[in-house]
Amino acid sequence: MKRFASVFTCAGALAFSVALVGCGTVQPWQKGNLAKSEMAFDPDPLQARFADHTYFSKEGASGGMSVGGGGCGCN
Amino acid sequence: MKTGSILAAALALPGLVPAAYAQVTVPNATLIQFKYLYYRDYQESGNRITVNSPALYLLAPISDSWVFEIGAVYDNVSGASPYYHTTLSGASGRGIEDARSAGDITVTKYFGRTAISARAAYSTEDDYKSIAGGLTLRHATPDQNTTFMIGGGYSSDEISPTDGPVFTRTKTTIDGIVGISQVLSKNDTAQLNLYYAQQRGYLSDPYKALYGVDQRPDKRDQMAALLRWNHYFEGLRASLRTSYRFYHDDWEVNAHTGTVEWAQELPYGFTLTPSLRYTTQSAAFFYYDPVYDATLGPPFPPGYLSSPNAFYTSDQRLSAFGGITPGIKVAKSFAGGWSVDAKAEYYEQRADWRIGGDGSPGLENFKAQLYQVGVAKKF
Amino acid sequence: MPLTSYSFAFRAMASHCEVRVYAPDGPTARHWSDSAIAEVRRIETKYSRYRDDSVTTEINRAAGGAPIAVDAETGALLDFAAALHAQSEGLFDLTSGVLRRAWDFKAQRIPSQPLLDTLLKCVGWSKVDWRSPTICLGASMEIDFGGIGKEYAADRAATLIMELGAQHGLVNLGGDIRVMGPHADGSAWKIAVQDPRGEPGATIAHLEVSLGAMATSGDYERFFESGGRRYSHLLDPRSGWPVEFWRSVSVVAPIAIAAGACATVAMLTPVDRALKFLDAQGVRYLAVDAVGHQHSK
Repeated sequence: MKRFASVFTCAGALAFSVALVGCGTVQPWQKGNLAKSEMAFDPDPLQARFADHTYFSKEGASGGMSVGGGGCGCN
Repeated sequence: MKTGSILAAALALPGLVPAAYAQVTVPNATLIQFKYLYYRDYQESGNRITVNSPALYLLAPISDSWVFEIGAVYDNVSGASPYYHTTLSGASGRGIEDARSAGDITVTKYFGRTAISARAAYSTEDDYKSIAGGLTLRHATPDQNTTFMIGGGYSSDEISPTDGPVFTRTKTTIDGIVGISQVLSKNDTAQLNLYYAQQRGYLSDPYKALYGVDQRPDKRDQMAALLRWNHYFEGLRASLRTSYRFYHDDWEVNAHTGTVEWAQELPYGFTLTPSLRYTTQSAAFFYYDPVYDATLGPPFPPGYLSSPNAFYTSDQRLSAFGGITPGIKVAKSFAGGWSVDAKAEYYEQRADWRIGGDGSPGLENFKAQLYQVGVAKKF
Repeated sequence: MPLTSYSFAFRAMASHCEVRVYAPDGPTARHWSDSAIAEVRRIETKYSRYRDDSVTTEINRAAGGAPIAVDAETGALLDFAAALHAQSEGLFDLTSGVLRRAWDFKAQRIPSQPLLDTLLKCVGWSKVDWRSPTICLGASMEIDFGGIGKEYAADRAATLIMELGAQHGLVNLGGDIRVMGPHADGSAWKIAVQDPRGEPGATIAHLEVSLGAMATSGDYERFFESGGRRYSHLLDPRSGWPVEFWRSVSVVAPIAIAAGACATVAMLTPVDRALKFLDAQGVRYLAVDAVGHQHSK
């Protein structure tokens, strides 16, 4: 449990600093580069699903991107 | 330039400024995507799994505030999975011929800068059924530079192995996520997600339990922190996508995973994306090395007789290792919204690639090849 | 990856137009240009009052009758027009088009006051019943998107191709310009400001724009002179008479429709108040007053 607490605190501090850095506001008309599909976090939805599924089946770690995904008997 | 009242009124008109991905606005295009995955893994002892997986995805804005998404996949799995450890001297695995179908639907309603999504998913194969649902809320600040996300999900799975004694066991998972996305500059976006999951029920592998020794706890609490950062290089016309995930659970699996992708725009609508993924994980506390009890022999771990009800697993995915996946993807987009893409990846796990501790000894390296081809249309 | 400059000229909205874009190859540039031009033509077709099948004609035909429903795009434009009418104290008015019946620039005749008074009864946004999604005009009233049509089309066309990948270039529709990004080497576009009393092509200054838009309102576009005075197409919708505060006002703002609206309102406002207005809006401008003095920021 202590492990959980310390990691969450670190992550929280990181989130706070990330938000601070973002204080120079980017205006709506300046977001041309951010509108490129390659600048999305998951530009290819099916590729992301395949990757998620592959690593879930072959590794001990998983999660972090969405909820309610459901399980499978993959091994 | 400060925002005067006329500019503010003008910005209320939709479609006059580019829509960044990291914001909460209704998508303005319908997307249909088809992709085919061919996966093959192998280990020297002869264990090999081949998967052929066609998958479909549709994203359709229905009105100016409703969006539907549908996903479907059909996994054809064949090959052999090891009974217990994958060592050259270990027994070869049980043959598998299985097909899994899964589908999911997500409905999202937008209220200005807030979006609520409800998702339902179903997966079925001859020895495993899963039904799951989730609810996610996203909200963006007025300048659309910061987006908050919170979500919760529930899964209920049924395991009915096709080998050995007939039984049906269940497993339930409750998970939750909170996240924040931030536009940091006109060329940078970042995202931080914190994820937590609780699994309860039958968490062991019934086939490994039948042919080997696999007795896992009936609870597993997991957490992950995922940090993603995208940067656009204007001069080079390339996007750099990076991510880092820290994972920890109460089975004492700790993992660090980093990925890097470089999407390079090329002439004639081509994009070339080399990628690299590295992961390192510790073993579950109840994982035992391929060293067997002197009296009982394989697959029994040493001391099994004195603690036959303790937790044990020989599953390589819960061992300690490092894994590397280099990959390359080529995509071409055409006028009219069509695009095609192809990706090749090679994935290897090795005990001595682990960083932060010793890898689990005595196991064969795990190797896999993954190939994907896809086509998509946006309209 | 080296980018090459491409230029595509076309005619739309009764003006000389062009798409100038830096692209990695010819087919990509052509694809962007075709998409931009298609969007301009779509908007022209949808809102042109000269077309029988346009939204504008449909709304005007129903004047004096039952309210008619409009789509989301038209609704957003009407909301913008309503906001602008309020912010400009009535100077920006979508219904002022009927006054063109009084001002015949070909015949060069000054209309009689009784004629103007009759027409003014049919002018005034406050007489329009706009409650989303339905609009109802009073009998004989007309709306005309001509005052914002080119700027809106320039913004839409530019945004479309920015989302397709264009980072450097501009869309110019008869002088209403939306800039998507600077030249490939990072230098700003130097956009010429027409001399309001010079030959077409004569310039008095250049405004530098790297990202944003520029629109110009001038008394030289349509006018006639009589008795030593200039009567231009820029009419105060409250009186029906042309104004003579400025020869031209050029505004630089982040998007073209905002630049155009600021230029139109400033043009119809006396000098001191107009400059205060432009400063309050936070835009850059170059304005030439009635005696030829330049005011700029």
